[in-house]
Amino acid sequence: MSLNRISCDSELLRLSLSDRLSEQQEESLTLHLAECVACQRELERLAGQQNDWDKVRQALRHELESSQGGEHDLQRLDRSAEREVAADEDAAVDFAVDFLEPSSAPGAIGRIGDIDILEVIGRGGMGVVLKGYQPELKRLVAVKVLAPHLAVSGSARQRFSREAQATAAIMHPNVVPILTVHSTGKLPFLVMPFLACESLHDRIVRQGALELVDILRIGLQTAQGLAAAHAQGIVHRDVKPANILLEKGVDRAMLTDFGLARAIDDASITRTGVIAGTPQYMSPEQARGDAVDARSDLFSLGSVLYTMATGRSPFRAESTYGILRRITDSRPRAIREINPGIPSWLISLIEKLLAKQPSQRFGSALDVAALFEQCLAHVQQPAAATLPDYCLPMRRKAWLKWLRRKRWTLGAMGLGAVSVALLLFVFRFLNPAVPLQSEVARPNESTVRSSPSAAAIPEWNATAQELRELDRDAAPFESRVGRLWDRSSAPVSPESNLPSTPSTDMESKP
Amino acid sequence: MRQPETRPSLIIKLTDQRNELAWAEFLCAYEPFLIQLVRRRGTPERHVSDVTQQLLMAIAKTVEGWKPDGREASFRRWLSRVARNVALKYLIRERRQISGQGGTEFLQQMEREPDLADHERQDGQYEHELIVWAAEQVRGEFRESSWKAFWATQVEGKSVADAAAEIGVSAGSIYMSRSRIFARIREKIDEVL
Repeated sequence: MSLNRISCDSELLRLSLSDRLSEQQEESLTLHLAECVACQRELERLAGQQNDWDKVRQALRHELESSQGGEHDLQRLDRSAEREVAADEDAAVDFAVDFLEPSSAPGAIGRIGDIDILEVIGRGGMGVVLKGYQPELKRLVAVKVLAPHLAVSGSARQRFSREAQATAAIMHPNVVPILTVHSTGKLPFLVMPFLACESLHDRIVRQGALELVDILRIGLQTAQGLAAAHAQGIVHRDVKPANILLEKGVDRAMLTDFGLARAIDDASITRTGVIAGTPQYMSPEQARGDAVDARSDLFSLGSVLYTMATGRSPFRAESTYGILRRITDSRPRAIREINPGIPSWLISLIEKLLAKQPSQRFGSALDVAALFEQCLAHVQQPAAATLPDYCLPMRRKAWLKWLRRKRWTLGAMGLGAVSVALLLFVFRFLNPAVPLQSEVARPNESTVRSSPSAAAIPEWNATAQELRELDRDAAPFESRVGRLWDRSSAPVSPESNLPSTPSTDMESKP
Repeated sequence: MRQPETRPSLIIKLTDQRNELAWAEFLCAYEPFLIQLVRRRGTPERHVSDVTQQLLMAIAKTVEGWKPDGREASFRRWLSRVARNVALKYLIRERRQISGQGGTEFLQQMEREPDLADHERQDGQYEHELIVWAAEQVRGEFRESSWKAFWATQVEGKSVADAAAEIGVSAGSIYMSRSRIFARIREKIDEVL
């Protein structure tokens, strides 16, 4: 059958059950399943015995029947997502109303401390975000209140205030500052400036993949914000497009929700045993539940860059578990396949950030920022700024390196060739009666032009000039890179750290 | 909502570290199920955590009587059996009177042997509760359209073609999604049993 691109393969069916297929495999298996009755049966058999299928069917049917009519709590099973969202929003408003003190300010729905609360902006995994106004300081603020179910856990509270205080210590233009932290009240909350902004997530949803310049700019600024946090010993743990805010009218990206992910993780995992929120931007070590350090944020940054370049997140699956497995086990679909406009040097940078092993990624956010700075300068002014060495394609890079190393030898060889040519020329000019051997063989050709050595003179001059220019360009950057690599904890030298092919980076090594 | 501070009362002395871990894992997986079970039996909301607590204590109490049977994961298997029995007893008692009470009276009642006939009847009920609970748990792990495909073809009894047209997904993806969801429901039940 023409639609059956693949033949029956029970191993593939087995993998599909645990959501472990690659995207291409999934596509072709879906086509195959639509046509192949044998595989439909086999898949059901692999999922469980007929008897168990019947039991599950009967139990759920029975629930459906007994719940019809009245509002049974199991109605949830068949409730649409929209209704849940609406219920969530109601809950957010209720929560805000319960928590706030009355306010006499016009237009305010309530008051916390010295802040008049104007409206509920949103609700996330950790609590509610409110828009407020501080009359004394005449400024708008955003207030984040820890959710009640998190606030009952003493350790979550402690962590919330500790991380908030640590974040308050980060002063950086690419980090949303925390103005105050109130951790003693019924529900802890923190106050941040209210920014006219949209999140990177909303931006990507609105317009899809971003322009190269924007990808580099946002990537650079995010890396800079992360570097400032890492310098304070803070790991963000939840770098994702929704946590990167883009100020309107200004080309500035700011990171938010630092370290708070941790406070939520602890409380919600122990509470329900499930992961809160989307795990799409987690690093493999996070997905496995291992200890994480700053390099985990670099992986997430790689996922964010991938998303900006393609308009879609790199690790997607039908289920939460499928996403986690993709993060730990598989390579994302090649960026070039989705957006051919992305230059290969950017792809290899992203691939290095997405290395499964933390040691295979860049040494630090600072290194990444330095590289992005160079790349951005190059894209904005290709004539004035060259790409960093790191970003040059392997062959060209090796060739330039070879040229530079051998420049004296090459120069000497060139000089020798020029001298010989000159001697020959002079000799022939002075003594035209004596024919060269080549003239004997090919009497019709102009001897001067056919002399390979003589023709090489301008070429060698140009090469020598190029080499001098290259050296001059490379010197400042080389010393800078040298400094960066010395500082980074990477145990390998920059040369040996380069991927021989981009793909080796992406496979996890046992 | 469960009160975290009541947890230490459940900590039981287990000499083997592996068993201690098994107990902790069991609590983690089983407690949410018990809470829902108790709630769904019509227990008033203010008594839900109390009754759940009593059930867990009834399970914890019997841990002292455990003897290894020499086979693999003996403690874990034994724990599931005890938990099942405690839950069954609860289902039978609950049927006779609305259980709002707590304290020692409730525990004493739990220890009395129920009728065998009741036991068998409630066995199916216990399994039913587990399946429904597991289905609710795994639902959030899947895309809305996948769940709809599972629900329409398995529960509402629609044909794959009808469901595909209605939900706007391909027939092949329905076969894949529903088996995946079913496999997860089974996995979830295994975590508890």
